[in-house]
Amino acid sequence: MEYKQEFDKITSRYEVKTAALLPLLHFVQEKEGLVTPEAEGKIAEYLGMPVVHVHEVVSFYHLFHQKRKGKCHLSVCQTTACALHGAEGIIEHIQKRLNIRPGETTPDGKFSLSVVECLGACELAPMMQSNKEYKGFLSKKKIDELIDQNN
Amino acid sequence: MPNVSIDGKQIEVPAGTTIIQAADKLGINIPRYCYHPALPVSGNCRICMVEVEKQPKLQIACYTPVADGMVVKTGSPKVLEVRKTVLEFLLVNHPVDCPVCDQAGECKLQDYYMEHGQYDSRLSNVKVKKDKKAFSIGSTVMLDQERCILCTRCVRFADNISKTSEFGVFNRGDHSQLDVYPGKQLDNNYSGNVVDICPVGALTDKDFRFKCRVWYLSQTKSVCPGCSMGCNITVEWDKMRPHQHKKARVMRLKPRHNPEVNDYWICDKGRYNYHFIDDNRIQHPQFKDEIISWDKAVDTIVTALQQAQNTNSTNRIGVLVSAQLTNEDLFVIRKFFKETLRGAQVDFKAAQKSGDSDDFLMKADKNPNTAGAVKILQADGDAEQILQKAKQGEIDLLYVFGHDLVKLYGKEAVSQIAQKVKLLVYQGSNVNETCSYAHLNLPSSVYAEKEGTFTNCQQKVQRIWPAFLPLAESKGDWEIISLISTKLGAPFAYKNSQEIFKDIAVAIPAFSEMTYEKIADQGMILKA
Amino acid sequence: MEKIVTRHFGQENSHHLINYLKDNGYQAARKAITQMTPAQVIDEVKKSNLRGLGGAGFPTGTKWSFIPQANPKPKYLVINGDEGEPGTFKDKYIFEQDPHALLEGIIVTCYAINSHKAYVYIRGEYIKSMENLQGAIDEAYRAGFLGKGIFGTGFDIEVVIHPGAGAYICGEETALLESLEGKKGFPRLKPPFPAVVGLFGCPTVINNVETISCVPPIINKGAEWFAKLGCEKNGGNRLFCVSGHVNKPGVYELPNGTTLREIIYEHAGGIPNGRKLKAVIPGGISAPILTPDQIDVKMDFDSLKAIGSMAGSGGIIVMDDTTDMVWAAMVAARFFAHESCGQCSPCREGSGWVYRNVKRIYEGLAKDHDLNNLPGIVNNIGGNTICAFGDAVSMSVGSYVAKFRSEFEAKIKGHVCQT
Repeated sequence: MEYKQEFDKITSRYEVKTAALLPLLHFVQEKEGLVTPEAEGKIAEYLGMPVVHVHEVVSFYHLFHQKRKGKCHLSVCQTTACALHGAEGIIEHIQKRLNIRPGETTPDGKFSLSVVECLGACELAPMMQSNKEYKGFLSKKKIDELIDQNN
Repeated sequence: MPNVSIDGKQIEVPAGTTIIQAADKLGINIPRYCYHPALPVSGNCRICMVEVEKQPKLQIACYTPVADGMVVKTGSPKVLEVRKTVLEFLLVNHPVDCPVCDQAGECKLQDYYMEHGQYDSRLSNVKVKKDKKAFSIGSTVMLDQERCILCTRCVRFADNISKTSEFGVFNRGDHSQLDVYPGKQLDNNYSGNVVDICPVGALTDKDFRFKCRVWYLSQTKSVCPGCSMGCNITVEWDKMRPHQHKKARVMRLKPRHNPEVNDYWICDKGRYNYHFIDDNRIQHPQFKDEIISWDKAVDTIVTALQQAQNTNSTNRIGVLVSAQLTNEDLFVIRKFFKETLRGAQVDFKAAQKSGDSDDFLMKADKNPNTAGAVKILQADGDAEQILQKAKQGEIDLLYVFGHDLVKLYGKEAVSQIAQKVKLLVYQGSNVNETCSYAHLNLPSSVYAEKEGTFTNCQQKVQRIWPAFLPLAESKGDWEIISLISTKLGAPFAYKNSQEIFKDIAVAIPAFSEMTYEKIADQGMILKA
Repeated sequence: MEKIVTRHFGQENSHHLINYLKDNGYQAARKAITQMTPAQVIDEVKKSNLRGLGGAGFPTGTKWSFIPQANPKPKYLVINGDEGEPGTFKDKYIFEQDPHALLEGIIVTCYAINSHKAYVYIRGEYIKSMENLQGAIDEAYRAGFLGKGIFGTGFDIEVVIHPGAGAYICGEETALLESLEGKKGFPRLKPPFPAVVGLFGCPTVINNVETISCVPPIINKGAEWFAKLGCEKNGGNRLFCVSGHVNKPGVYELPNGTTLREIIYEHAGGIPNGRKLKAVIPGGISAPILTPDQIDVKMDFDSLKAIGSMAGSGGIIVMDDTTDMVWAAMVAARFFAHESCGQCSPCREGSGWVYRNVKRIYEGLAKDHDLNNLPGIVNNIGGNTICAFGDAVSMSVGSYVAKFRSEFEAKIKGHVCQT
């Protein structure tokens, strides 16, 4: 089976096999860019659990994606501290520049926009997570720079 | 054993019993959605909250074990207020589909609202929309995600009882949706049970969809005749509005709780096998192509029997009885053919009806009363032999109860038999291919029209009750034999099946000391 | 003031073992394992008055003593690094800048409760945290501080990082355990509590990152020292996270019992642009909001409880007088609606309903009865749910309506809040 070695390595850290579900899903998503039904089936079989409960987990946690995201995935925080520092304006600006709404991806596959709750970086408000990096003290200018860099 | 007081009533229960279980034993009905006695506790609906003395917060009754000296109040003002609260939250996004929802009349949202709700609506917003409304998730069940209150009974059923894990709750918050795994269907042997346990109209039965409002239904206790498991059922029927259902009486079957037989469940085959009660019945006695009266029919048989008696050729009578018949039917048949007539060859094992089985409720033996037939008929004949003899012209009267010989042995064999045998009698409830070969067709009643008993594979004798009178001119099997016997000059004294059963208890050691009262509606095991 | 948890912050490569060792690194672990009994360790932590810094403020030593040692099942330590409470960002700094402090705390704690396996649950977005902690774990294994027979004794210990995947509710103890076990983050029915039936059905201690990071200093310098640093019943310092309308947002290590006024004006630089304070969240979004007349409160668990709020996670969010409080309530309600796990009916339906109600009021679409009904609806969630999330919705959103009622009323009559 594809990924068996990696699956074995991850699973070996846990006393109960099924506890490896979240890291296995992260691993597959890292490799393939999304979690497909095929991957769910493979993982379910590997862990010996019903596939419906794998799918429940994928749909519950918002870091797992069932659709591919753009090359640059922007997750903008909208909770209190960032909201106080103009998160709404940041989100609006990104929408205008990329012509997509939260949850959508640009047709050329370069950018995705998500609006999320607190990312644990209120001291950098307003902030977002761009792929893996936290980017704070956002402004329209900084957004424009980021988008131009990745376009 | 802890002693607990609920609403002033005392009860002693085994340690580990929860408040709701103790209350149920006392007959105190605490409202519940997610709790079901046969499923693991979930504790998510919150409507079973009760007041426990000395505890500052209300506790859910389904999860809290009773402690010795515990004092519980299930109807205090605090509790009643919380019930209203929970109902209000459940109804916030619930579509008021009642006029088009099959669950109306047996819906726990409706029931508890009428009992505990009755508040003014405070809702000003649009309700949350979900993806699937009136969506088929399998051959027998419809899903409406908006009606679902996410009690997860169906999920727990699929995980723990049918062990097929079709269901899950996806997403989170008030966008949670109950669904089957995308692309998968709900098609296991026990799919229909999820409709029973769904407290609202989220999971509804396709077979029953829009068929009949439940308040028109009458209920009669019975036992499924589909296999030797003998799952306890309730026959639900509508007699008030035959014009609505093209004269069909039975609208659906529901499993009836019997912890020792089927618990709360029934297989799909058994659940949906009720149409034969109303469809395709043999309605009148018929000789060849002509409908005749019962008198004429009985005369025809009696004439043949008298001839056999006079010519000392009762051994040329072959009787194929069926394990579909009740103990009472079988007892009278045996008495007639083995004692009154003497010499007839009797058997019930014609090409054994066998089928699918599983490790849950479905048994391979598709007869409800094989155990009874064994004990009561004490059959000494051999069906195959009888039929062989019939083909060779060595049988004058072949009396067949219920077996579709064409299905079992093929048209040619039956045609041969029909030609060689002087009188081929078919006594059964539904039309089948054998009927066109039988010389005399006698309409008998179905299990739902009978009072009597079946004996299941656990050697448990279980009662069935008649929901309604036999259809058209059909009569009970033992009643038909009784008519024949009377005309023959040897009447049976039985006025009803209970009297027959009394005789069974005397005559057959395995049934000794059994009475209808003792059997009640949960059954009684035969003596070894 | 003596810095404890933040003593290495800001130093170059503070997360590397070589630098951690320069400052008594792993001495507390060595002392505990080679010179103390587990019972002595628990006792020391009890005496220090260290209380859970994730939000609940439960006395840490007491929590450890709930582990039934007679139970033959393996014991687990789970570190709660889900840090999802809006306004809170301190654990991120510990992960990134002093992961060895956490590891050393883990070793001592495991020893105290007779556990040989620790899981560190880190929220899925904290990529750098996971990288830095994993680096530290690898270093610690190589150096023999983790693994079999550490410090030349028979004590074995394993540490594994487990990533979250974006669900605030997994910060709740039992939801975290469910998530660790590979399921949705649905909080469990209690009792039993994790100390008796926790991870994989075994006795488990769950503690916050910061709490455990306080343990090595307590062992090194003694419980009395730690207890004196804070205030009565709330020993030690605490990492306060300040954000919102302040000049210097960031993490501030200060003694438990410091006043909120001091934190906002003396340490976080006060409010920018000459504006005035209007409201402040004292302990993460779940904590009832405070008004300017309340900011002399001492920031410790008991004092905040006494004024009807909570110390919570130490997340302080400051709002100046440009803030529309109805809008702020809507942002909070929206957070709860998005993060409700959906397991139990009052919270699932109630959190969404409350959000839509407050949104209507904010958008000027509501009528009098909508506002009059709101407190009742909000209050009905708390107290009726499986976990404290429901209580948080009630207390948090309810506090905006209670304390800024006039702003809500103004929206009903059609006035726009003057900024």
